[in-house]
Amino acid sequence: MTLSAQSLLSADSLAQIDKEVAKYPADQKPSAVMAALRIAQVEKGWLAPATIESVAQYLGMPTIAVYEVATFYNMYQLEPCGRHKITVCTNLPCQLQGADTVADYLKQKLGIGFGETTPDGRFTLKEGECMGTCGSGPLCLHNNHTMHAHLSPETVDKLLDELK
Amino acid sequence: MPLITIDDQQIEIAAGSTVMDAARAAGIYIPHFCYHKKLSIAASCRMCLIEVEKAPKPLPACATPVTDGMVVRSYSAKAVEAQKGVMEFLLINHPLDCPICDQGGECQLQDIAVGYGGVASRYAEAKRVVKEKDLGPLVATDMTRCIHCSRCVRFGQEIAGIMELGMPGRGEHTEVMPFLEHHVSSELSGNVIDLCPVGALTSKPFRFSARSWEMARRKGISPHDGLGSNLALQVKDNRVMRVTPVDNEAINECWLADRDRFSYQALNSAERLTRPMVKDGGRWVEVDWPKAMAFAAGALKVIRDTHGASAIGFIASPHQTVEELYLFQKLARALGCENIDSRIDRVDFSGRRDGVEWLGMAVTDLNKLDRVLLVASTVRKEQPLIAQRLRQAVKKGAQVNVVHCADDDLLCSVANKLIARPSDLVNILAQVAKAVGADIDGLSDVVVSDAARAMAASLKSGEKKAVLLGAVAQQHPAASELHVLAQAIAKATGATLGFLVDSANAVGAGVVGCRPRQGGLNAAAMFVAPKKAYVILGAEPELDAADSAVAHQALAGAELVIALSPFKTAGADYAQVMLPVAAYAETAGSYVNMEGRLQSWCAAIPPQGEARTAWKVLRVLGNQFGLAGFDQDSAEQVLAEALPEGEATVRARLNNEIADVTVAHLNAAAGIERLGDTAVYQLDAYSRRAPALQVTVDGQVGHAAMACGALIARLGLSEDKPVKVRQSDAEVVFKLMRDDRLPDNVVRLAGGLAAAVQLGPRFGPISLEKM
Amino acid sequence: MISTIKRFFNTFLLIELLKGLAVTGRHLFARKITIQYPDERTPQSPRFRGLHAQRRYANGEERCIACKLCEAVCPAMAITIESAQRADGTRRTTRYDIDLTKCIFCGFCEEACPVDAIVETRIFEYHGERRGDLYYTKAMLLAVGDQYEAQIAADRAADAKYR
Repeated sequence: MTLSAQSLLSADSLAQIDKEVAKYPADQKPSAVMAALRIAQVEKGWLAPATIESVAQYLGMPTIAVYEVATFYNMYQLEPCGRHKITVCTNLPCQLQGADTVADYLKQKLGIGFGETTPDGRFTLKEGECMGTCGSGPLCLHNNHTMHAHLSPETVDKLLDELK
Repeated sequence: MPLITIDDQQIEIAAGSTVMDAARAAGIYIPHFCYHKKLSIAASCRMCLIEVEKAPKPLPACATPVTDGMVVRSYSAKAVEAQKGVMEFLLINHPLDCPICDQGGECQLQDIAVGYGGVASRYAEAKRVVKEKDLGPLVATDMTRCIHCSRCVRFGQEIAGIMELGMPGRGEHTEVMPFLEHHVSSELSGNVIDLCPVGALTSKPFRFSARSWEMARRKGISPHDGLGSNLALQVKDNRVMRVTPVDNEAINECWLADRDRFSYQALNSAERLTRPMVKDGGRWVEVDWPKAMAFAAGALKVIRDTHGASAIGFIASPHQTVEELYLFQKLARALGCENIDSRIDRVDFSGRRDGVEWLGMAVTDLNKLDRVLLVASTVRKEQPLIAQRLRQAVKKGAQVNVVHCADDDLLCSVANKLIARPSDLVNILAQVAKAVGADIDGLSDVVVSDAARAMAASLKSGEKKAVLLGAVAQQHPAASELHVLAQAIAKATGATLGFLVDSANAVGAGVVGCRPRQGGLNAAAMFVAPKKAYVILGAEPELDAADSAVAHQALAGAELVIALSPFKTAGADYAQVMLPVAAYAETAGSYVNMEGRLQSWCAAIPPQGEARTAWKVLRVLGNQFGLAGFDQDSAEQVLAEALPEGEATVRARLNNEIADVTVAHLNAAAGIERLGDTAVYQLDAYSRRAPALQVTVDGQVGHAAMACGALIARLGLSEDKPVKVRQSDAEVVFKLMRDDRLPDNVVRLAGGLAAAVQLGPRFGPISLEKM
Repeated sequence: MISTIKRFFNTFLLIELLKGLAVTGRHLFARKITIQYPDERTPQSPRFRGLHAQRRYANGEERCIACKLCEAVCPAMAITIESAQRADGTRRTTRYDIDLTKCIFCGFCEEACPVDAIVETRIFEYHGERRGDLYYTKAMLLAVGDQYEAQIAADRAADAKYR
């Protein structure tokens, strides 16, 4: 038997999901799936199969349909990751402004490549797609929510020191 | 209606239709992969691109609605160029492994590539490789061949009602897969094999065994549920290699349940009886036909002469053909015996019935219903394609109300449900009857619950309604009371009363008189008061009877049992003579389905070994006794005699009315009780012997005892562990599984299981003990 | 008149006989074209279509994948194939028979084969003492292939550029 949603997600998260569900007509609960996955990911750090299953159950959707959404967007984290997920944009405008230098510096400093996590579980490095503010590149996104612009090896050093 | 021109041909077609509909109506073929007449429009393959005058770009025919005056060209230079371009893209990642692909020879991609594909590929980069998925024992996968048409995904969502396959990933990384490593467990899963336009999803039992061009397609009718699905038996070297559906909009549309599709395995089973056998001093000896017939007739004559004809019982399976059942009852009656029955799994025969129970309407009418009351039916497992039709009705706004002993997931939204233990079933149905104000006596003490009132409100609204009695309602110890209550509800709400007939020819058996008349005994009575001799046609009463233990005892204690069966194991331990008869694909015959439709077919293959068609065996048995009227030369002749006016004769004998029943069983019994409904793959001798079906999720679950978590905890038992099941002094060990959809104090243990024979009745007190 | 006289003289002067003897005499001293089979043999094309063989890959794996195209294309219906899934999951024949008494040596089977498994060798002098001896089974065909693989491979290589 599958676990019930209540046992996996906190009451706080469920309340937030309820708020998202309320934005759509009563018979269109699945419309809140992206928001619900985001909320679940914030709570759990990543989307484990069991988390996806409980979101599906909560929204009354087939699990595979939720999984389709979770695999479609790359901000959803389908493997466990470090406390700090740093996503560096490597699309052309950022590249032209030196994103590859920043990315190489990050890789060398953390000792990991794209898609890997440091052994202490502190950092995960990811390669990202355009974040829509090409004017302030090179860019990185911290844990999907905080954006750091105009990166250089010095600002990267500063950023990494801040993130414990 | 818009008038459009396709390839210089003018067609008038209803507004809202697509160009593809118009082209099909005009008989113009537009190449396509993702389009399917029964599924929603995806327009994902782009193969059906066509040129539309005044449109700047080619448009997909399947997703372009027609407009008045539209001029379409499906084979212009522009359209063909677009189609060729799409084809080239589709072939980029498709492996060139047609020689080892089971779809080879019947592959849409292969066919269309001949017309639209290039001679050589311009693509020199690495091809995409997709990891294999394990979808269970029925569907084999080669996902590298997938072209992402999404037909299988849409089938799950729209027809099967359960989305087991999805398309996670994006762009090139999209893959069709189930969530995690789950198997596909839908009872309609085999249809994705037909739907897949390439060789990504193929049949596992059939895998690599033959090519499409080697097999002859012969028509047959499914021998399982009462729907009578139309089959194409694909035959090579006198062996059925696989079964595919034949389109019949009135019955199975273009679908088949897995049971219909894979049960052909039983035809080639090692358990087939291929030579007549006689028991000699406790050992089975193979003999020739004349000897076996002389022995059978002689022994039966002795019993009749010494004990009288009423000391014989005639039991037939409701999965036999009209012709066989007609001759069977004719033989019995000619011998002076009235103990004839085919309703082996029924207990309650009380009340006065005027005809043969049937669906009460046409199968296609099910799609148009507004309100449905399902009484004790897990319709999804019993008649998977009826469930599919109800699902379509629900999509159009129908309300399904369920009264049952288990809260089984019907894969469609249910408006109201009342779930209670088997012994409480009469009570809850009585509540609904009282709530709708049914005209029936004996309900004064019934307390109507709010749920019953809500159900009554639902049933009172709407236009087209039906009250449908399922298998459990028919097998229930108080079946007649459920019947009379359902009849009263139907009358009070203006609904049609119908029976979801669970065997292929139960209606036919009733129509040709395979039922006891004045002075005869019904199946249950024939076992309770054992007979000296039994003649059994195709049935396995020790498995299928309402009380398997009593049936087995009666058969084992009889002086003579003559078993006419396609299988060796049926009756091997109690019969004295086993006569090998042809299986469903090996005989010409007819079935009457639940809507009273008579469907005849010819033999697809000759009978195995020395087996003979059962109607011929029965005719010769009649000759052995020197009886008149046993001189038919063909199955057609027998049919003409059985049903002189064909379907009209059938229709004249159909009637769902019941009278002279008092509703008495209104109080639930105390203690734990058994719910012994028939497991989906234990319905008959064929499905039981199909190994692929037995290893599916449904096949496995059918072999376990199920109870809800509360009951398991209260008894101090643990789930997924063996448990001692005790019923009427017998004790058998089963695996205990948890199913929270069952009400408290109910143990679901399917009827028809070889392991559960000693346990006895399908309903009644049962207990579970720790090992 | 003249022709009658001509015929009269030709008849008793044995002109016709001498003409015939001249032909004989000419051939008596001309270069001989007769091949003294089996001591001498005509040259064979690498495309020669004789006895069938089933080939293997260098690692010993049989080539045939039971696609049944040869069976389908055979105009004489001489090929019988049964197939099944082998334990390792691959598609294989469980029976591959060629009835050489039916075969017309058209070479279509060879043309149809996508993996060069069924080939026709240069052997044409096989025989059987009973009719049944000419019913070649999979094992017999594989044995022929094993024995003549070098020749078969060389012939395919020689003909490769024209295929």
